[in-house]
Amino acid sequence: MPFLDQWISWLPALSPGLGVSLTLTGLCLLFGMPFGLLLALILEGPVKPLRIAALVVVEVGRGAPALVLLYLLYFGLPEGGVTLSAFATGVISLSWTTGAYASELFRSGLAAVPAGQREAAVTSGLRGWSGFRYIILPQAIRISTPPLASLGVTIFQTSSLAFVIAVPELMSKAYALGSITFEYLSVFALTSVLYGSITLVALAFVRLAEQRLSRHL
Amino acid sequence: MEIATERAASPPTVGGVKVLGLHKSYGKHAVLHDVNLDMAEGEVVSIIGPSGAGKSTFLRCLNYLEVPTAGTITIGDTTVDAGARRPDRASLDRLRRVTGMVFQNFNLFPHLTVLENITLPQMKVLGRSREEANAVADSLLNRVGLAAKSDQHPSRLSGGQQQRIAIARALALSPKVMLFDEPTSALDPELGLEVLAVMRDLADEGMTMIVVTHEMHFARDVSDRVMVMADGRVLELGPSEQVMTAPTHERTKKFLRAVLDR
Amino acid sequence: MFAQIAAGVGMTVSITGASLLIGALLGLPLVAARRSAWTPLRTLATAYIDIVRTIPPITWLFLIYFGLPQYALRLDSVSASIIGFSMIASAYMAETYRSGLLSIPQGQWEAATALGMKFLPKTRYIITPQAFKVTLPAIAAYAISLLKDSALASTIGVHEITYQAGLVSRATHQGLLAFSIAGLLYIAMSIPLALAARRVDRVLRQKLEVA
Ligand SMILES: Nc1ncnc2c1ncn2[C@@H]1O[C@H](COP(=O)(O)OP(=O)(O)OP(=O)(O)O)[C@@H](O)[C@H]1O
Ligand SMILES: [Mg+2]
Repeated sequence: MPFLDQWISWLPALSPGLGVSLTLTGLCLLFGMPFGLLLALILEGPVKPLRIAALVVVEVGRGAPALVLLYLLYFGLPEGGVTLSAFATGVISLSWTTGAYASELFRSGLAAVPAGQREAAVTSGLRGWSGFRYIILPQAIRISTPPLASLGVTIFQTSSLAFVIAVPELMSKAYALGSITFEYLSVFALTSVLYGSITLVALAFVRLAEQRLSRHL
Repeated sequence: MEIATERAASPPTVGGVKVLGLHKSYGKHAVLHDVNLDMAEGEVVSIIGPSGAGKSTFLRCLNYLEVPTAGTITIGDTTVDAGARRPDRASLDRLRRVTGMVFQNFNLFPHLTVLENITLPQMKVLGRSREEANAVADSLLNRVGLAAKSDQHPSRLSGGQQQRIAIARALALSPKVMLFDEPTSALDPELGLEVLAVMRDLADEGMTMIVVTHEMHFARDVSDRVMVMADGRVLELGPSEQVMTAPTHERTKKFLRAVLDR
Repeated sequence: MFAQIAAGVGMTVSITGASLLIGALLGLPLVAARRSAWTPLRTLATAYIDIVRTIPPITWLFLIYFGLPQYALRLDSVSASIIGFSMIASAYMAETYRSGLLSIPQGQWEAATALGMKFLPKTRYIITPQAFKVTLPAIAAYAISLLKDSALASTIGVHEITYQAGLVSRATHQGLLAFSIAGLLYIAMSIPLALAARRVDRVLRQKLEVA
């Protein structure tokens, strides 16, 4: 199997790119998830001007292609006098995307907590913030965790877009390797295998977590 | 509701319940018409009546899970007047503090263990320390016969066990009045019996209780008085023996016949 | 500037529309294979669906556009993106159909079988109309996400909205404005889809509930 030897010889060239892809994904989840929760809380909250602002952030984040957001920040931030590395721009842009989608998942998680739980919280004296904090939110987060984990996997795939702003992640390493070797088909096939296998493994973990979490619901 | 406010000025005996001129409507649809109830401390009143009579709505108005349209509610020394537009938070909090509620479908907190279900409200609402809260929880769990289950999650328990935990959770906040909304309706008959036994003990210990129920035996044997509701009104309210065996109202007779024939 | 970016709308719509249509058609045999009782066929369909969906769209596009010419299959960038997105859409559409079918209670199949209906009439008259209700909003949602994915075609040089915005931004050095316009165009284009889906959903729901 000659192509296998070829693939193995390419791995050292691609693996730093994979590292960057995973780091990028990790940072986007680290920033994007809390951001999404914050957006969800604002959207469910009572302050109208904040709600409108959050709505714009979410609707643009979900409505515009992630690629367009990347370009928007990549070209837009320097025009506004902010100069960041491509990597940092990628993190900000994809965190925006992550937060926008996550906020919707958190909101449906909140909506899925049965009304009886709110009533039981109130009749147990847990009203307002403490009822929300101790009774509603933990259940909502549990309900949202499986779709959030799937979102995480999607974000890993989306991180491939950072290629267009020259972040040295997997796609860009693959493209570079292709243009040296002219073995585009084989290089991108290997890239697909890398993306695919990591995604499949991650999805398997998501399913496992899903089963564990649903035990107490 | 000026008259009601005036009458409410005579408070019930400490720990008792006094409801005057309670009205509730959803938009134009009136669900409760002028419901009155005066209970002494330690009294047990069962509420029976056909489906849609407004039993749950009445019970839920008592702790403001539903906001009544008019009327006053006095529990212990806390009075809330629905005529006053928006009751202040403090009196609502007090009203909920002195009432404990048990739901038809338990509503235990699924993400907390049995013990945490009982301790968390104590710590957050009453500011008890974890040790104090645990001690209270332990003694209550013993009382409902479920000490062995304290580290389990509710989903692992039978319905009857869950409902007994729900009762313990409510009792942990030392309410003056316990409200039960069909606590056994979601349970198989045997499991219902273990819950009814706990409730009977509670009544014997002198807890003031209002129980919406379809258990006619409980209504007759445990409660002091029975209140019959239909179409949002109180048809009759009297000593349980009398209401259950010799009701004055034709509707009550029909209802009881229908229920007892089943 | 707006006109120059909006000049890409036609291409964006063409790529999205063509891929959605082809994907919707290919999805039908795919879902049949996915539910087939014959294990090899079922495994093959499942593998296809999973593999297509676990690899990022941009990787697919590059594989097709840069990789295939190695075997003398030279494609222009528009065809390459339509092929790539159709393939991806077929996998997603098959899954959408499948969850529509799964939403039909077993009793409906059984009742139709008990009435002596054969597979095709059963599917055509009993199951599909009911599954449609669940599937249509999901199809609209996928159409919106495909619309946004079509932006990737710009990376292999298709002159659609994002590509045009890139041109403009390089020429005018007003990237913020150019890509804001692009983003708003995508949002504006997805609104009618979302509204239509909601409307159809409501109408169908009412019809089925009365029935
Ligand atoms: N949120 C609401 N909006 C409108 N109407 C309501 C609402 N909640 C209850 N109702 C109506 O109020 C009436 C009384 O309902 P309630 O639940 O109090 O009856 P109930 O006596 O507890 O009946 P059941 O024995 O079935 O529990 C019913 O006609 C019901 O349809
Ligand atoms: Mg009821």
